[in-house]
Amino acid sequence: MNCNESRLLLHGYSDRELDREAHREVEAHIDDCSSCRDIHRRNVSISKALAHESFYYRAPADFREHVLASIDPPENDDAEKQSWWNSRPRLSWEWAVAFSLVVIVVMLATWPVRSPSDDLANELVASHVRSLMADHVTDVVSTDQHTVKPWFDGRLDFAPPVIDLAPQGFVLVGGRLDYASNRSVAALVYKRRQHVINLFVFPEQSGVPASEGSTLKQGYNLIHWNRSGMTYWAISDLNLEELKQLAHLYQDWQQ
Amino acid sequence: MNMTAPPTNNFVANTNRLEFEKTVLPHFDAAYNLARWLTRNVTDAEDVVQEAYMRAFKFYGGFKGGDGRSWMLRIVRNTCYSWLQKNRSSELVYELSDELCDDKRSGPEVEMLENAERQWLRQKIEELPAPFREVIVLRDIEGMSYKEIASVTESPVGTVMSRLARGRERLQEQAGVDEAGGKR
Repeated sequence: MNCNESRLLLHGYSDRELDREAHREVEAHIDDCSSCRDIHRRNVSISKALAHESFYYRAPADFREHVLASIDPPENDDAEKQSWWNSRPRLSWEWAVAFSLVVIVVMLATWPVRSPSDDLANELVASHVRSLMADHVTDVVSTDQHTVKPWFDGRLDFAPPVIDLAPQGFVLVGGRLDYASNRSVAALVYKRRQHVINLFVFPEQSGVPASEGSTLKQGYNLIHWNRSGMTYWAISDLNLEELKQLAHLYQDWQQ
Repeated sequence: MNMTAPPTNNFVANTNRLEFEKTVLPHFDAAYNLARWLTRNVTDAEDVVQEAYMRAFKFYGGFKGGDGRSWMLRIVRNTCYSWLQKNRSSELVYELSDELCDDKRSGPEVEMLENAERQWLRQKIEELPAPFREVIVLRDIEGMSYKEIASVTESPVGTVMSRLARGRERLQEQAGVDEAGGKR
């Protein structure tokens, strides 16, 4: 590979977006070529610099409410200009009955096609979203795995492995008790740039076949795997490639 | 049970509404972040996000499931561009002005950037033309994959990679110029 070819692929290389073969070729080239290596090094430092949270503009707290309130339900037959959000507390019994009916219909309609792991995935996505919305990501806040791991002792009937992955760019933020699949589970919280990753850990359930895979739900990436008698689910809005890195780091550590 | 028609319509609207909120509300910050970087201004970002969410709600019926974040960001992006077209069309034919390059700060190479350097980098990104700026924001700040960025910007993955390359090269060139008063 010469410099011209390398330049075309270099950014994909820095972003770990190339397939294995192309990745190796660029890697071999930048071993020898200091100018391409410099570009790669600078790409990485720009990406690292931009990962700082000050570059991520978060919406002001009341702005979200404001936008929600401004969205009118479609074909609002009442002259009333009030949004659904504002009228929410005035729930009448008709609404309540109707809403329950809708919930039941939706449940009946979706029940048979869902596999148990799909149910679990939905449950865990809900936990993940809730942990972010309620601003209750962690019960124990620590970047030290030797603080987080003992914290779970006595709170759970199993010991989740807690690994320090800061050198690999996954900062341990803390841990939390959560509830899923009818049992208490450990939620380990990592951060990659501004993205929160919930890693749910619980013992394998008897009768549930071990499986591995990844899915996308509501814009969140989920990866699950089993190791040494434990089931793991990692969930984040982080891109799938980077989330896979976390999974691999955990899997390699337990080899 | 004797149900009249209007409430039924409302139930439907209500379920849609809940589904809608479940799909796109988790991405509110992502929407705001993109709008803020593209408009480079708080008030305008808020206007764009508000309009984008109203559009998204209106067209929610067309959402076929899948990646809610890419879908929402695509709408935010389109809203941004029509907004810029209407209000600041001069910006879309945007050129880097020379006087912006004579600031003497060191480039973004230092890993632990001090506040001032972050400010410098922020300014340089804001000065990039929108097509380069948006891919850098989506990749390095939002953390999306090339495939997801391609879906948001409705362009091929190859275009995403080459825009990213050109955008970063511009940042790097400026870093080089600012650092040494000339290229290394």
